Amino acid sequence: MTPEADEMVAVELAINGKPTHLVVRPDETLLFVLRDSIGLTGTKGACLEGECGSCTLLLNGAPVNSCLVLAAQVHGGRVETIEGLAHGDKLHVLQRKFIESGAAQCGYCTPGLIMAAKALLDETPNPDEETFFRGMEGNICRCTGYTSICEAIRGAAREWSR
Amino acid sequence: MTQNIQTIDVPIAEPFAEPLVPPSQTPYVERPHGPVGRSEDRIDGPEKVLGTALYGADLFYGRADCFVSVVRSEPAHAEIVAVDPSAALKMPGVLGVYTHRDVRGTNRQGLIVRDHPVLAESRVLFRGDAIAVVVATSERTAEDARRAVRVDYRPLPVVADMDAALAPDAPRLHPDGNIMGGKRIRKGDADAALAAADVIVSESFCTQTVDHAFLDLEAGIAHYDGRTLTIHVSGQWVHEERRLIALALGLPLESVRIICPATGGAFGGREDISIQIYLGIAAIQHPGKTVALRYSREESMRARHKRHAMRIYYTVGATRDGLLTAAKITVFSDEGAYRSTGPAVCRKAASHATGPYRIPNVSVDVYGVFTNNNPTGAMRGFGACQMAIAYEGMMDRLAARLGIDRLEVRRRNLIRSGDAVTTGQRIPIATAVECLDAAVRRLRQCPPPRPTDPHKSRTRPPALPPHLRRGVGYSVICFGLGYGDGFPDASRARVGVSDQGRIQVFTGGVEYGQGLITMAAQVAAEELGVSVRETDVVWADTEQTFESGSSSATRQTYFTGNAIRLAASELKEQLLDIASKLLGVHPHELELRDGCVVGRFDPARSVPLAEVVAQGRARGYSLEATALFKPRTVCEDFDTGQSPRAFITYLFGSHIAEVLVDIETGEVRVDRYIACHDVGRAINPQSVAGQMAGGATQGIGMALMEEVVNRDGRIANPNFTDYILPTFRDIPPVECVILENDDPGGPFGARGIGEPPLIAATPAVLSAIADAIGVHTHTTPCTPQRVWELLHPDEAAVPPDARFSLAPPHARLER
Repeated sequence: MTPEADEMVAVELAINGKPTHLVVRPDETLLFVLRDSIGLTGTKGACLEGECGSCTLLLNGAPVNSCLVLAAQVHGGRVETIEGLAHGDKLHVLQRKFIESGAAQCGYCTPGLIMAAKALLDETPNPDEETFFRGMEGNICRCTGYTSICEAIRGAAREWSR
Repeated sequence: MTQNIQTIDVPIAEPFAEPLVPPSQTPYVERPHGPVGRSEDRIDGPEKVLGTALYGADLFYGRADCFVSVVRSEPAHAEIVAVDPSAALKMPGVLGVYTHRDVRGTNRQGLIVRDHPVLAESRVLFRGDAIAVVVATSERTAEDARRAVRVDYRPLPVVADMDAALAPDAPRLHPDGNIMGGKRIRKGDADAALAAADVIVSESFCTQTVDHAFLDLEAGIAHYDGRTLTIHVSGQWVHEERRLIALALGLPLESVRIICPATGGAFGGREDISIQIYLGIAAIQHPGKTVALRYSREESMRARHKRHAMRIYYTVGATRDGLLTAAKITVFSDEGAYRSTGPAVCRKAASHATGPYRIPNVSVDVYGVFTNNNPTGAMRGFGACQMAIAYEGMMDRLAARLGIDRLEVRRRNLIRSGDAVTTGQRIPIATAVECLDAAVRRLRQCPPPRPTDPHKSRTRPPALPPHLRRGVGYSVICFGLGYGDGFPDASRARVGVSDQGRIQVFTGGVEYGQGLITMAAQVAAEELGVSVRETDVVWADTEQTFESGSSSATRQTYFTGNAIRLAASELKEQLLDIASKLLGVHPHELELRDGCVVGRFDPARSVPLAEVVAQGRARGYSLEATALFKPRTVCEDFDTGQSPRAFITYLFGSHIAEVLVDIETGEVRVDRYIACHDVGRAINPQSVAGQMAGGATQGIGMALMEEVVNRDGRIANPNFTDYILPTFRDIPPVECVILENDDPGGPFGARGIGEPPLIAATPAVLSAIADAIGVHTHTTPCTPQRVWELLHPDEAAVPPDARFSLAPPHARLER
């Protein structure tokens, strides 16, 4: 059933530092709104039920599965997506390390992995193994395997703590 | 576009008639000195880490005018009595509902035999068969309308598994019956050799249905302008998709254009056509509109073909010393509802039934059996990975029976250079033993620190807690690359140069993450003396590129790499010819280096490529070249399965897994993992290692957790909550060992890497579990429950002896 216009919800939020005003349906996910309403397609959907982490972005600094967050819930929130990571031509250290380590093959899980890794290293610049797993185990990679991804994140961590 | 395609037809040589050079001494005549052999960064890396690469679903924004939804069968087997779209058509925003009556062409799909109606006509054969296509102004409306389309069925008995399919009174799913076909191999006299053997070992194996589970769900857009139907959807073989869509939808070939967007994995799962054709149906009905369609994960798993579940009955005979004398193998393969690439999977299973082992007397029968499950077709490993589970399982059992070391039994039987595999094809450079030895050498070295925790010591605790058992498992595999068996297999490439001196490579191959376009750039750049940064690759667009065959069968590096190299060398001749006139130096004394043509003996004589191009254009040179690489393989003999060249070349690999098994819970943890492959030459070592690690991860998933559960024709777990994939915690660092023994026919000696890492992984993990718990495994995946049941056979839900009610030699293969 299509809701009437008065059921729509107005949402103010900051996306990658840019104040944004949106009018969303109450049942639309943040993932859907970002991708299909404002064209920020860098955040990917893959399982659409919070199992694979492809849609990971940062909401108020914490990693969330944007397929499980309703857009209407994030009023006043601060959203960071993969599009906000690089400064112009200058790649973020995680992006650079992902290229150098060959950690992005098909690249579909990459935005979610990079955002999850950013959240991990923001919180713990030099994580031990358990912290590393707890930060990353919600993200599935189907084609690259995890070896080069671990190397990329660890490589970024070395520069992070400097 | 120039039509002077250059053909290099590699003759069917008699490689075994020539003296053999030991593998380590077969250097390729030309050593690469440019980008080939270097771990160049992927050329699509930046757009992928920035999130700007556009995958199918990323094309919706700002383009999609209307949305498509597919009405699918609910029953697994039924006659369609009526399709009534009237309720859906009354919904606001619904633009149309289309059935097979609206399809103007053959309405047939299928890669080998076009046996699958695009939209069902009178019968549905699996729960997921497409019946109608709905077009609406919003995705939500399309979805609501799909549910409102009323389909009346007359239910038919569901053939839920191979037992039911082979029962004498089973309903016939296809006109010829429920045996799709298969392949047999007869070499020597297996029965006589078994009768004379010192020792006989028999076992049956049961492998599961597996889903590709690529993350990038099927999605894309299409547009029809009244003349040309343009479809942007990820596939694995755009030119075949074009042929198939043109025929099925009744359009001239030149009216269909397929463009492949960025693609998030494929693994064989995009080889069969998927949403392209529904988008085509919708677009034709709504000219001028851009139509869009994307699957949910559930629809993706319901609609797509799967990996064949196989039952493998395996008997080997050997001497007391462990030398194999005979193998008798019968395989039943759940083909699902339609053929897909099933016939080829059965053939590949048969030709890889004994893997890299030298067995003089072999009898193999592989049967594909139709059921009302999802069609099964291409998936990385393509029939060879199921057989590797069996032959490696048999080697472990034989070793245990004879009390000989597992590695020793393998070494005694592994083929050496010049020996033949089961199809009778002799392998001039067989490096199975070298791969095994290199992997074992690596095992003896201390494992590297884990990148997840470099601080943690990797020294092993002196004693394990009492509930844990450690085991080490080995596998050795071989794999014939390309389609093989005489199936036409070719790749074309075009290489040109821009006015600025940039090299442009055009290939029809699909980049889905495996590194094809970086490989293409490296090969062209190597040949033309430029850097990868000065090379552009245009790929998988039926209008701009020639056909390069599918991105599958581990074939693109070998086939397209060769085609690009040939085209680039043709272009090089033109460039040197032009420069020769400019510099007054004979072309043979010129070379391309660092973006210039330089005198080989007089480097002071030099002219930039852009200048050569400008002069060449003025003098009427085409400044582009197209090449075809089309080596021949030989179709096997129907009765014996023998062929002097079933596959163009063979790959070898060996994996070692170390596992910890919790005997109280049955849980298995892979603790250390080593993968070794001989790739001929690694054009990009980092890419090769990436394919090895990714393939090993999928193989470990197949060994331990991945299983599509089919119940009465219904997939019980069509989502990532219940279909379990390996995560960071499940996979240790994959230690990659790359061997390079140049292939005389490969580009710069390269063979390929795609499928073998998956094939070798599953048996290595199973072997390790058996080593840990002292009981051999026979059913995949080895979930905690299955491992626990192996340890407690008396309490198992299914007694081990009742695993198969099917008696093996039950079917006959008709010509």
